[in-house]
Amino acid sequence: MTAPRSKSIVLWTFVISVLVLLSAPTIVVIGASFTSGNMIAFPPEGLSLKWYAKIAQATELWDAFLRSLYAAAICTIIAIPAGTLAGIALAKYPIRFATSVQMYLLLPFTIPLIGSGIGLMLVFGEARLLGQLWPVGVAVCVINLPFMIWAVSASAASLDPDLELAAANCGAPPLSTFIHVTIPGVMPGIISGSLLMFILALNEFLVSLLLVDARIVTLPVQIYNSIRSIITPDLAAVSVVFVACAVAAVFLLDRLVGLEIFLKSK
Amino acid sequence: MRQTPAAYPLTWRIMDGLEAFVAFAWPARLGAAIPWLMLAPALLLVGLLVIGLVQIGDVSFRTLDPSTYRMSENYTIANYQRAFTESLFATVATRSLLGALIVTVVTLVLAFPYTYLMVRTPNAMLRKLLLTALFLPFFIGQVVRAYGWLIILGNQGMVNEALGLVGVEPLRLLYNYPAVLFGLVQYMLPFAVLMLAPALSAIPEELEAAAESLGANWVRTFTHVVLPLARPGLVGAGLVVLTLSLTDFAMPAILGGGSQDFIANAIYDQFFRTSDQGLGSTLALLLVAAGSLLVGLVIALFGAGTLALSRVRR
Repeated sequence: MTAPRSKSIVLWTFVISVLVLLSAPTIVVIGASFTSGNMIAFPPEGLSLKWYAKIAQATELWDAFLRSLYAAAICTIIAIPAGTLAGIALAKYPIRFATSVQMYLLLPFTIPLIGSGIGLMLVFGEARLLGQLWPVGVAVCVINLPFMIWAVSASAASLDPDLELAAANCGAPPLSTFIHVTIPGVMPGIISGSLLMFILALNEFLVSLLLVDARIVTLPVQIYNSIRSIITPDLAAVSVVFVACAVAAVFLLDRLVGLEIFLKSK
Repeated sequence: MRQTPAAYPLTWRIMDGLEAFVAFAWPARLGAAIPWLMLAPALLLVGLLVIGLVQIGDVSFRTLDPSTYRMSENYTIANYQRAFTESLFATVATRSLLGALIVTVVTLVLAFPYTYLMVRTPNAMLRKLLLTALFLPFFIGQVVRAYGWLIILGNQGMVNEALGLVGVEPLRLLYNYPAVLFGLVQYMLPFAVLMLAPALSAIPEELEAAAESLGANWVRTFTHVVLPLARPGLVGAGLVVLTLSLTDFAMPAILGGGSQDFIANAIYDQFFRTSDQGLGSTLALLLVAAGSLLVGLVIALFGAGTLALSRVRR
C-alpha cells in the first residue's frame, strides 16, 4: 500500500521539523564546545580543543560531576531492590486494595516536582540531613521510583507463572525459585529500569537545586548557576559530558532490551 | 565415606541455610503477607513524599514574623488569603496555566505525526533513528537543552548572527514568553511521543486500509478512524504534558530570565529569596491540589481507562 503523495508530504514536514527541534540544542552544544573563539558564535571561529583542556583542569566541575555520579549511584542502588520487589509483587500476587496501592505508588508522578522537592527538603531539614549528598540520591530515587516499578512489573507480567510452578514442582524451595527463575525472568525490566533511574538521577536538576548547598552542588546545578552569569564555551564542553552519558545510555538500552519495547501496547 | 565437594557444592549448602532461615523467619502461615513485605521498601520510600506533603501543609498555616525571621507558633489562614488576593500570584498562575495549555496543544500536534510514522514505518532503520532522536534529549536533561537554546537564540546567538549576515537587526528572541513556551514544547515532545506510541500501535493498520478501500481519502481516514481510536492516548499524553509544563521550573527560569516566572519559580522565590516558607508552602500545596484536580477531572470526563495508560508512563 503506497501512501498518497500529499499524506507523505504532510507527514514528513512534521517529522523533520520535530527532528530538528529535538536535535538542535544537542548539536549546537557539541559544535560550540569545539570553537576556538571566546564567545559562542555562528559560524564558528575555527576548531580547537582548548575548552576541553580548560575543563580538564577545572576541579570544581569535576567535583560536581563526581557528586552527580555518587547521587545517581545511591539512587540506583536503592531503586533496584525496592522497585524490583514492588514490581514483582504488583504483577504476580493478588493484593487487597491493589488499585489504591498503585495510586499511592504513582504519587511521585502525580505530585508536581516542585511540591515533592520542597516536601523532601522540609523532611530532610527536620532530620538535619541537609548538606549531605546521600539524601539527594534518596530524593531522586523517590521521585523516579515509578519508572523502576513499571519496568519490572511489565516484565513480570509477561513472565509465565507456570515456570515458577515447574521449578517448585521439581523440588526447588521458594527462595531458590525466586532467585533462579523469577529474577532472571524479570532481568530485562530490572536492567532498563535501573538504567533509566541512573540517567535521570544524573540529570536531575530541580530536586538537586532544592536539596544541595553551595558546598555540594551537582553538575546540573553548577551549569545552571554558571549560565545565569556569563555564557562561555567551557560550559558547552561540560555539557558534552552529559551528551556522551546520554549516548551511552541510549546505546546500552538499545543493546540490552531494545528501544522498541517502548512502542508496544500492553 | 569421603564426600566430594562437587557432589554437594558450597553454594548449595549456603542456599540450604538461607532456605531454612526463610522458612524459620517466615512460616508458611504468614504467606499472605509476602506481597506486602515485598512492597514495603517502595511504600516507605513514597511515604517520605507523604510526610513531606504533611510538612508543607503544616508550614502553610504559619506566617513569617518579619522581625525575627521565625515562623509563627499558632496557625492562621493568612497565607491562603494572600495567595488568593495578591495580584502577583494571579498573574503568575494565569501565565502558567495559559502557557501549559498552549504547550499541550502544540506538543500534541507535533508529536502525533512523529509517533504515527514511528510506529507505522516498515523501515527498521528509520524507526531506530526516530527513537534515538527521541531518547537522546530525554536523557540529556533540561539544563543542557536550555543552554543549547541560549546559544541558538541569544542576542549574539546563531539565529541573530545569521540574520545579521543578511542585514537584519538583532531580534530579542530570549527572555520572553514565546521563548519559554518554545523550550517547554521541546522538553515535552519525548514524553508525549512515548505516551502516544502504545495507543497508536494498538490501532490495527487494517482499519485504515478498510476505510481507504471504502473510498475515504487519507484526511477523512485520519479524522474519522485514527484520531478517535487514539483518543485515550491523546488524553493521557495531554494530561501528562499539561501537568509537567504547568509545574516546570527550569525552562521559565533559564529561557524566561526571571521575567516570565511560572508557579514553581514563584514557590522557589518564596523559599530562597524572601525566605517566607509559610507562603511558599501555601503556594506549593495549592499547586499540588490543582494538579490532583486536573487528574481527577480527566478521569471524571474520560473514565479511569485513560489513567491505566498514564499510570505506567509518565
